[in-house]
Amino acid sequence: MNRDHRLSKLLHLVIKEWRLLLRNPHGLAALFLMPSAFVLVMSFTLKNTLIVRLPLPATGWVLEDKSPIAAQWSREWLARPDMKRFLSREELKAALKARQVDAGIIVHAGWLGDDGRPRAEELEIWLGNRVQPAAAARLRAELSFSMLQVQMKIAAAEAGPFASVLLSSASSSELLPERGAPTIRYLYEIESGRTMTAVQQSVPAWLIFGMFFVVIPIAGVLIQERNDRTLTRLTTFGVTPGLVLAGKLIAFMLLNWVQLAFMLLVGRVLVPLLGGDALNLNIALGWFLLMVAATSAAAVGLGLLIAARTRSFEHAAALGGGINVILAAIAGVMVPRMLMPPTLQTVSENSPMGWALDGMQSVFLGDPDAAFILPRAALLLAFAAVCLLLSWRPIRHQEPA
Amino acid sequence: MSENTCVLTAEQLVYRYPKQIESALNCVSLRLERGQAVGLLGPNGSGKSTLINLLNGLRAPQGGHISYDTGHPPIVAWVPQEYAFYPDLSCRENLRFFAGMLDATAHDATRRVESALSACLLHEFAERRARHCSGGVRRRLNLGIALLQQPDVLLLDEPTVGVDPQSRRFLLDRVRDLMRAGTAVLYATHYMEEVSAMCSQVLLLDHGRVLASGALETLLRGEGDVPFANLEALFTHHTQRGLRD
Repeated sequence: MNRDHRLSKLLHLVIKEWRLLLRNPHGLAALFLMPSAFVLVMSFTLKNTLIVRLPLPATGWVLEDKSPIAAQWSREWLARPDMKRFLSREELKAALKARQVDAGIIVHAGWLGDDGRPRAEELEIWLGNRVQPAAAARLRAELSFSMLQVQMKIAAAEAGPFASVLLSSASSSELLPERGAPTIRYLYEIESGRTMTAVQQSVPAWLIFGMFFVVIPIAGVLIQERNDRTLTRLTTFGVTPGLVLAGKLIAFMLLNWVQLAFMLLVGRVLVPLLGGDALNLNIALGWFLLMVAATSAAAVGLGLLIAARTRSFEHAAALGGGINVILAAIAGVMVPRMLMPPTLQTVSENSPMGWALDGMQSVFLGDPDAAFILPRAALLLAFAAVCLLLSWRPIRHQEPA
Repeated sequence: MSENTCVLTAEQLVYRYPKQIESALNCVSLRLERGQAVGLLGPNGSGKSTLINLLNGLRAPQGGHISYDTGHPPIVAWVPQEYAFYPDLSCRENLRFFAGMLDATAHDATRRVESALSACLLHEFAERRARHCSGGVRRRLNLGIALLQQPDVLLLDEPTVGVDPQSRRFLLDRVRDLMRAGTAVLYATHYMEEVSAMCSQVLLLDHGRVLASGALETLLRGEGDVPFANLEALFTHHTQRGLRD
């Protein structure tokens, strides 16, 4: 077989894979719609978790302590926007259920102790089911600061008129001012000079997840080819297993690039169209291409391995889908790694999708360097090589191992 | 080249699968001649598929050898029992794809596709996905793909399973056409009447050994005074009536 014939055969094999793929609506949905839907959902879901200072939730107040200090303290709070007074716990509960407020504060009778100091344990916070933990944490922090302020005022009043004058005009908003709060910056923001947005994190994460889902169309075709003995027939046409494998590698790695273009469009056009942040595409092209190629090789390699070592499409789809979801969960695709415990973070950093995610996010956040990207790309390529090696024998012998 | 020239000779073929004690084939010999069909018979597991795999080069014999009297290896095409093509491609796309796997020019490949479409009466279904075709059309496509190779030897493995009598007749007529054009045919089947109608020679295998081999007429005459009533009687005589599966 001369070189021209070999290239021509390879082209026919690639075109065949693409034809079959375009006629597989379920495979296309798994490859394009699913990751796009995840990008949309997660870009909006995670939008607030990456903002350091969230607005306070709309809060209802029930004042059971009848002391003048409690009345004065709650008046200051009720003067803020989105704060509302309720007469009883039942009223507050009904308002929470009706979503008129998102949170509730119950100031128990006995909030002001016998020593004349406010007691935190006599304060109760109720939360509606939709309040984000970060917003709840801010409410609790502000209440604590505010109570500290009350304590200081009382202490100042006891200390004498001069100290009392100093603190008399202070309000809780001045203790936790909206402006002038300390700036908090993550390392990647310091290095790249960019702010991390949810879409900047979601697009590479779900792109990787979608790329690894090539296992579905790969398995669909390869298992059918093997079970119908089409692969055997190809052998009698002089087509080597290596050529079949090369055809699949090229076809599905090309497909990964189409997925990439589609996901970039989603992040760049669709997410901002729906009110989210736009994906910043000011990225280092060389590192970007390397990471996509390495991730694609790993994804197609794993897909071929699963397809080669399973007996039916159902088996491959269940195994491939399950492995992908587990790898994605470990890598931090589904839940940002910053929310994981330290041990799991270490595991996450040393998993295939973790290497892809770290490398790709470093590119998307604009701070890639060779020392960070190259080892991860090399690990992904090594992973791809191992997968191909393990899938070679069953493909060569045209039977599942 | 004259009629009845031997195209392929297999002598004393031996093959044993890994981790198996018994040989799948044990000293099996066979001659395939131009324009002739040899009926390959045997119960399930008798070694028919192994023999076909050795003849089409999918496996290498561990004993014996295969030779070609024509001086160069003949083109061997195989029609498997399974529908070995892509159900989500149309009939024409399947033929184009397999033609693309041949070492042929684009022009020649197109010509072969059109020729296969015509020979197997597939023009009407050319643009229909194979998945949506009837069993008969799929069998014709299965044969058409083998015809793309323009074979000297055609190995048919139960090519008429699951088709109606009209499609069966059509397939058998096409095989006869090929024989008339000089193709040597090995016809493996469980349908005795097809062998009787198509084949002048018979090879009967069981447990990897040759139970009977030679001209059909000679074999039917039998060794004793009473000839066999038909091929099925001959088959049952040699392989017994017990179930094999």
